[in-house]
Amino acid sequence: MLLLAACNQQQETKKQLVLEDDLGREVKLNAQPKRVLALATSMTEMLFAVLDTSTIVGRTQNDDFPAAALAKPVVNNYPVDYEQVLRLKPDLIFTVEGITPPDVAARLEELGIPVYYQKYESVADIFTALEDIGQIMGREKQANQLADSLRREVAQIAARHRREAQPLRVLGIAGFDPIYVYGHSTVISDKLRILGAQNAVDETFDALTREYILQSNPDVLLGGTPQELEKNFFSIYPELRKIKAYRNGRMYAPTNDLMARPTPRVVESIRELESFLYP
Amino acid sequence: MSRALYFVAALLLILVVLVLGLQVGSFESDLSTLTSAFLHYDPANTTHFAILHLRLPRLLLALVVGASLALSGYLMQAMVNNGLADPFLLGTASGASLGAIVVFFGFVPVTVLGIYMPPVFALLGAFAVTLVVVALGYRKRQLIPSQLLLAGIAISSLGTAMVGLLTFLSDSESKLRTVIFWSMGSFERASWDMLPYPAVALLLALLLFVYYQKQLNILLLGEERAQALGVPVAQTRWVILVTVSVVTGFAVATSGPIGFVGLIIPHVTRGLMGTPGQANLLFCAFVGGLFMLLCDLLSRLLYPPAGLPIGIITSFFGVPFFVYLLLRKNYNFKG
Repeated sequence: MLLLAACNQQQETKKQLVLEDDLGREVKLNAQPKRVLALATSMTEMLFAVLDTSTIVGRTQNDDFPAAALAKPVVNNYPVDYEQVLRLKPDLIFTVEGITPPDVAARLEELGIPVYYQKYESVADIFTALEDIGQIMGREKQANQLADSLRREVAQIAARHRREAQPLRVLGIAGFDPIYVYGHSTVISDKLRILGAQNAVDETFDALTREYILQSNPDVLLGGTPQELEKNFFSIYPELRKIKAYRNGRMYAPTNDLMARPTPRVVESIRELESFLYP
Repeated sequence: MSRALYFVAALLLILVVLVLGLQVGSFESDLSTLTSAFLHYDPANTTHFAILHLRLPRLLLALVVGASLALSGYLMQAMVNNGLADPFLLGTASGASLGAIVVFFGFVPVTVLGIYMPPVFALLGAFAVTLVVVALGYRKRQLIPSQLLLAGIAISSLGTAMVGLLTFLSDSESKLRTVIFWSMGSFERASWDMLPYPAVALLLALLLFVYYQKQLNILLLGEERAQALGVPVAQTRWVILVTVSVVTGFAVATSGPIGFVGLIIPHVTRGLMGTPGQANLLFCAFVGGLFMLLCDLLSRLLYPPAGLPIGIITSFFGVPFFVYLLLRKNYNFKG
């Protein structure tokens, strides 16, 4: 979802690039960015996957992947350390919807630094986003190659599970008290679809009652090993020991960062889930 | 309407709302499902299980907590002789929140010996903060209501600031949601195992104040007049204080700090029954329980299946009623 428009100015001395980001915001650039910064942990991974690392000028306090990111200067992203951002002089900031509040983006733009938002609702969105980054930064070749190879890997995994007779119904738990689950319109639902399984939650809300979970009766729970869930979940809600996932011991602990971050490692995350669902 | 009729009406309404509430949930159920769940309970039937082990304890907890907060509010208003007083004036809510959040943020293991710690620490926090507030409001072997109020406000703010600091420093989104959720109150953790604690505290308090009701009514006339009429003011204040902290402590520890009930219901009670009513406390507890049951039902009907946080509903429906009561000319705090 990227629109590039080059507006030739009268004397043709200076081109202004006008982009439209995933939220439909106009992002104006005076030239192709040479120095960029991500204000979201997943975005740092995206940038490192596509760009020449010398063009990435910093990382947030939580970023830990890839290891090369650790060498970059730290910018606090909550609350945003505006002075440090100015010191690093990025030409463009990439971030993710929901991580950077709109008022922060507005303030950054007042300070002369455009902000480009991405948002992802499916696995395919992540790959398109990689290509968008490549196009904006003049790294189309690298980005398209990476996106294509990731798409091929996902297609191969999906082919293995096209004919699952009874799709497993999976509930991803994000919080224990209150019970928060990964709702239907999340990338996680899409990962489950690729694996021939389905999200046990068919609504978008995410705080849930015990009764809802009892009724949806999932086959598999994601959110902790059986021991962890016994201690942190079923001891608080002993009534839920009736669900199939508990009785069959089908409870798994996906790697947090893989579950939570929309990044090129999404394929790794799908493989991890595959190993849980089809041991 | 006579006072006895009000009592009967409140009781009947409680029953009606209980029966309605028992039918609302993710499992389809109607009156006949309810009867069969109660009369021919089938352990293999998950709908039966949901009705008896999820819905019923939740509704009873709502009833008990509503009654506890209303009762505590009535007692506090009588003690400090001020209609603005509510059960959280002693710092109970912020103490409980701080206690629970200390666990949520991992300073204490979430379960110890199989016991879920947040309610335990919420109770400890509530008692600890109340103790500090009382110590500050106590001078020359007497409780000074105005000083108690100020101490309550100050210590509550400190507690809120500490909760704010912990929240700000938290690195995880799910912990933040837990804190926000906690602060709006919920009956979702209700179970038969935990219900007895707040219920027994409430029953003891009600029994105690059947005996103290007369003193309480005289106390509303003001300290000097109560003293002159032979009420042991100092002693009565201590009894109120201990009762309020125990009853509110259990209510908040099990369900979070639910606002407005403790402020509004005592006014409703006096508005209906008259200020020096004979059985005002008992009626206040009934109305508080009924109000909370209604709020729980509304929350589930408006936003199924999770339900809106209960504290939002109590404010939405409680405040307009409160304003109406304030505008009514013939109601006045001191009767």
